Amino acid sequence: MKKRRNIEALAFTVPALMILGVFVFYPLVRNIIYSFQSFTLSSVTKEWVGLKNYATLLSDKIILTCLKNNILYALISIVIQVGFGLVLAAVLEDVAFRKLAPTLRSIYFIPTVISMTVVCLLFDFVYNPQMGLLNSFLEMIGLESLTKIWLGSKKTAMYAVIAVSQWQSTGYVTMLFIVAIQKIPRDLYEAAEVDGASKIKRFFYITVPQVRQMFFVTMILTVSGAFTVFNEPYILTSGGPGTATMVLSLHMYQTGFVKNNMGYASTIAMLIFVITAVLSSVQFFSFGAEKEER
Amino acid sequence: MKMKRAMALALAAAMSLSLAACGGSDSGNQPAAGGNEAGANTSGGSAGGENQAAPAEGDKVVINFFHRWPNDPKNSMFNELIQQYMAENPNVTINMDCILNDQYKEKIRMVVSTDEVPDIFSSWSGTFAQEMIASGNVASLNDMYEADTEWSGKIAQASVDGFTFDGQIYGVPWSQDGKVFFYNKKIFADNNIQIPTTWNQFIGVLDTLKAAGYETPVVEGLSDSWAILHYLGTMNQRMVDPQVLAKDYDAATGEFTDPAYVEVLNKWQQLVSYMGDTCVAIDHETARNTYFATGEAPIMYLQLAEIPHIEKVIPEDFEYGFFNFPAFEEGKGDTKALTGAPEGFMISNKTKYPEECQKFLKWLVSKNGGEALTTKCGDISSVDGAVDETNALPAQLEAMDIIKYASFLAPWFDNACDASVYTVYSQGAQAIATGDETPESVMKQVQEAAASIH
Repeated sequence: MKKRRNIEALAFTVPALMILGVFVFYPLVRNIIYSFQSFTLSSVTKEWVGLKNYATLLSDKIILTCLKNNILYALISIVIQVGFGLVLAAVLEDVAFRKLAPTLRSIYFIPTVISMTVVCLLFDFVYNPQMGLLNSFLEMIGLESLTKIWLGSKKTAMYAVIAVSQWQSTGYVTMLFIVAIQKIPRDLYEAAEVDGASKIKRFFYITVPQVRQMFFVTMILTVSGAFTVFNEPYILTSGGPGTATMVLSLHMYQTGFVKNNMGYASTIAMLIFVITAVLSSVQFFSFGAEKEER
Repeated sequence: MKMKRAMALALAAAMSLSLAACGGSDSGNQPAAGGNEAGANTSGGSAGGENQAAPAEGDKVVINFFHRWPNDPKNSMFNELIQQYMAENPNVTINMDCILNDQYKEKIRMVVSTDEVPDIFSSWSGTFAQEMIASGNVASLNDMYEADTEWSGKIAQASVDGFTFDGQIYGVPWSQDGKVFFYNKKIFADNNIQIPTTWNQFIGVLDTLKAAGYETPVVEGLSDSWAILHYLGTMNQRMVDPQVLAKDYDAATGEFTDPAYVEVLNKWQQLVSYMGDTCVAIDHETARNTYFATGEAPIMYLQLAEIPHIEKVIPEDFEYGFFNFPAFEEGKGDTKALTGAPEGFMISNKTKYPEECQKFLKWLVSKNGGEALTTKCGDISSVDGAVDETNALPAQLEAMDIIKYASFLAPWFDNACDASVYTVYSQGAQAIATGDETPESVMKQVQEAAASIH
């Protein structure tokens, strides 16, 4: 019996492992090798350069800008998508919103299903300094002094780009939290209500601890998303003005496909991989440990 | 349980169906293609009598043709031309494939050094062409040019130069382009402005226009890095000693230590001060359509290939003229040069049918294709006499003349030097425009980038 189960288990896992092996692990290993080589897309041979690419990585000033921007991206995404998303989900699940909730849920979710490219082009219009919605709106309500060249200034460009992602992804995270909240047994809330706990107290002492698992999922999603973000800066600013909105994956793309330096691009890819792997495992183990305690 | 089994069955059925569909389409295609060829063959036999150029009967020739113009009108123009050619040469089948610019660059770079290299493919001139040639898979076409001087004599020499390396010609130029200042004739006349020929005169013109109430006398969309590079390429060419420039643009010897480079960026700083605050946040197209075409900005640095785009957006009474980039008083470069470059086609030396490929290219790059290119797509053909007053816009004919009389075509900056250098240049120049960097600090970064690729 046991043997049969082993065979069954194997039969089910081997295909998945093979697919993972071919499409994930093999390229990963190849990428590690590439990161020690120097070559272009059209070069016939690959030159082994040892740690040269890694030395370049350490002296590359743009990497610092990228890291700064990616970290900013991650922090703001955690606060807005995870933090604000959770609050939004709790509010939508509150009895007071029972009638409106389905409509609002759909509205918040709509940005998620729009293609990233469309969203970015849309925001290109929103941010347009002359006829853009944002500046026109500010002028309309008498805040002319606040109008800015959003994507053309070093100070605002990165925030403008980050805002687009928040607009798009918060609805998705909210949806995940709504699902988690709906799984919380109602009697917990009823008991708390009988005990006289306010809505805010119920949120902190029942909702937040109960959605901890989802918290972990959304944290991994947003943080790894923040460190691999590409579309928004690529379409909106291509890293400009100057290098103000450069992020790691955009730098990797430009190094590989514009500067045609695939070896160094692989090295940047390794950096991104290490960062996301470390962050994910830290979160994984810290949340995993908590789970066992319970 | 029953439900599950039914689902599994349905899934299995769906999968086997889709598999069968794949197989079916495959095997279905084969005979169909064969049938087509057989059809072509018989008609080839009958046409062979009339058309002497067709090779021996039964010679199936399949040419893979790969270019970078999937958008209309160019795509349909190529389709029509190829249909026409295949009708005239029934033994030849041309498989055309195309993808847009950047993706094209990526794909051709990947396949050019392999056996998958297409028989005929499009290429830019300059460093991109060199990169293609370095793969060792590009055929030298000197014989083709020498054997048929009647054909090659009509191809613009300045453009052939863009594909010539160490005396070997590796391409056939198809279109050509140059970058000049377009100006609004009416505004110039209203303010009594003469065409500037030197930088100081040019700045004088900008001042006059500014005084006349034009907030952005000259405009550009600086969020497009290539638009910045077009400026800087010309400015470097006009300012820096040609020998120093050639040495610095070469990846192996580039240093960029000449003080003239800093001077160029100083002039750039001066220039962007006339472009208004919003220039860094808009792209080239926006600048062209909402500033230049509306008369809000009287001057813009545009490609001659943009004439058809301009024609589409300007009001009817809008008149524009051209002038070449003015000379720097202290400049050491040729002031008659024009920044611009041809694009053309290359033939792989791995092709099975080199003669057929040459024959097709000679047919395409002649009045046949040249006229279609200029009249249908608005690009400037490399073929002399492809168009005349009857079928081209006066502006296009003027443009052809400008290219013809340029002393030489100075390649686009992003075709002239290594990407590691020009990306730093464009990012730096953008930061100068926003006031975040100085010419000196940018040149320092450029020098570092140039040193890193030695």
